[in-house]
Amino acid sequence: MKIAVCVKQVPDSETRINLAAPTAELDSSGFTRILNPYDAYAVEEAVKIKEAGSDVEITAITIGPDTVKETLKKDCLAVGCDKALVITDPALDHADAAAIATVLSAALKKEPYDLVLCGFKAIDDDNGQVPILIAEKLGMAHVSTITSLELGEGTLTAHREIEGGKEIVQASMPAVLTCQKGLNEPRLPSLPNIMKAGMKPMETVTCADLGVEVPANLVQIKQYSPPPARGECKLIDAEDPAAAARELARLLNEEAKVI
Amino acid sequence: MTYSGVDFYRLDETLSDEERGVVQTVRRFVEDRFAPDIREHFRQGTFPMELSPEMGGLGLLGAAVHGPGCPGMSQTIYGLICRELERGDSGLRSFVSVQGSLVMWPIATFGTVEQQQKWLPELAAGKRVGCFGLTEPDHGSDPGAMKTRAVRDGNEWILTGNKMWITNADVADVAVVWARTEEGVAGFLVEAGTPGFTAHPIGGKFSLRASDTGELAFDEVRLPASALLPGARGLKAPLSCLNEARYGIAWGAIGAASDCYHVALEYARQREQFGKPIAGFQLVQQKLVTMLTEITKAQALALQLGRLKDSGTHETPLTSLAKRNNVAMALDCARQAREILGAAGITDEFSPGRHMANLESVYTYEGTHDIHTLIIGAEITGLPAYR
Repeated sequence: MKIAVCVKQVPDSETRINLAAPTAELDSSGFTRILNPYDAYAVEEAVKIKEAGSDVEITAITIGPDTVKETLKKDCLAVGCDKALVITDPALDHADAAAIATVLSAALKKEPYDLVLCGFKAIDDDNGQVPILIAEKLGMAHVSTITSLELGEGTLTAHREIEGGKEIVQASMPAVLTCQKGLNEPRLPSLPNIMKAGMKPMETVTCADLGVEVPANLVQIKQYSPPPARGECKLIDAEDPAAAARELARLLNEEAKVI
Repeated sequence: MTYSGVDFYRLDETLSDEERGVVQTVRRFVEDRFAPDIREHFRQGTFPMELSPEMGGLGLLGAAVHGPGCPGMSQTIYGLICRELERGDSGLRSFVSVQGSLVMWPIATFGTVEQQQKWLPELAAGKRVGCFGLTEPDHGSDPGAMKTRAVRDGNEWILTGNKMWITNADVADVAVVWARTEEGVAGFLVEAGTPGFTAHPIGGKFSLRASDTGELAFDEVRLPASALLPGARGLKAPLSCLNEARYGIAWGAIGAASDCYHVALEYARQREQFGKPIAGFQLVQQKLVTMLTEITKAQALALQLGRLKDSGTHETPLTSLAKRNNVAMALDCARQAREILGAAGITDEFSPGRHMANLESVYTYEGTHDIHTLIIGAEITGLPAYR
């Protein structure tokens, strides 16, 4: 069985974004970069499938510059993926979800994958579109935001959390699944495996190597702007809670005009 | 704000991808698995033993030890591990130092193939725990005067004596015990439960509270010939173990100091007095700058020492210098951080007070600060002051 895990390197959620004025491009020079946390669920699930069965090969696939290799080694290969494919191409620098999905689909066609696992969204752009587009382009079944997975003969059963309950979905394989928190607990790589990860195969290709042309963006980011500054905070100084409540109600009614 | 390490001189850039991966992984382990509970463990005087197999699984135990089931990584990696662990607590790093440098290392270095196969895989996995008995109630800095004796009786040995200030004494499955014999100092592997061998915890500690510290007593303990570590001959053998552990301490102290600096800096930025953050006052900046400067110098010492050890070209006094400097530096940082924190610094809501208390032990164990002064003094003058 062949599993592909599509991953993305994203800025650490604690990274301070320097955004003093509106801009079309963020200054990413000081970013600490990590594996997208939802992709870690995808990696872990693939490794669990490999540990439970025999003859499973996991390929981690990503798009990005040379700096993604550190994340691929530590968070994919050291955790249990067998090999990695890095698609590095300046043409992809500002690619939108459709373009990314086109290129990833071209890479996924190179081998007959039974499962494609992805995080359900990346925490940087919060788009959540790429896996769905891949499923469409490859003609595979797609189940989103899964919280449990069981594999059968050519089929799979997945649980999805829905509003107020749980949905149990059966799908045929090959399939594209997106992983949600709750699916598993991603492990830390053992240190000896981090040291050995560099010995696992990692191939770097361009879009031309994959025989795919990057389509023009359908969507373009026009501007990032900082959130509006928070207004002044007014502290109600009252003798007792009842007086404070009366004053709060008066302010909400007369000044804020919300009640 | 999250901790992303103290690295003013960008020394991390000289690390390999793998070494940086190790740092990030151990840091996450400490933050996720250890840090949430350390306050309570320190209050209760307990160590989270359940983390032992987790640390084994990650390859944190005996990281630089080569032998069956051992991680067998570099000395630099071992140092980086100690640094990140001691940022959590000196007790956590002590557990790993003892298991790796003082138990697994002597078994790998002085033990028979049978001893290595019996103990190393399970010690590396954290399924079994070891302790190291050299210091005695009356013999600390002068271990050569130890009273513990092992006498041959046919094919067996009879071991009698007491060991004190032993990390992991009460939880250990095996003790590496050093004793006088007719042929000089020798090392023995004594299994817990051997008749005549008992361990007792030492209470009333204000330092290393999240660490098991105890006493070992040997009352005519009968040991088989196979308990002897055949490669260990003379006092040099236990001292060489200590030298391994001291190296990890030189790195570990940087972790404790970095945590103190990080906490103090964050606090100083937020705490306002006289209408502005106290970080804006000259005297507070002086403390912060002194801490950062000393941490940076300590980092350079430790990293170069690690690289020298990895190339096999280091001498013992180099480790003494790094241990002596870095632990004293960390203790100073903890005190300065406590000052910046003001009254808040005396509670366990902030870590510097805990680090300060811990570092009083670290200053004294594995060769006191003063003994390391004399080791370096002997090296540069050729005149040992302790003989």
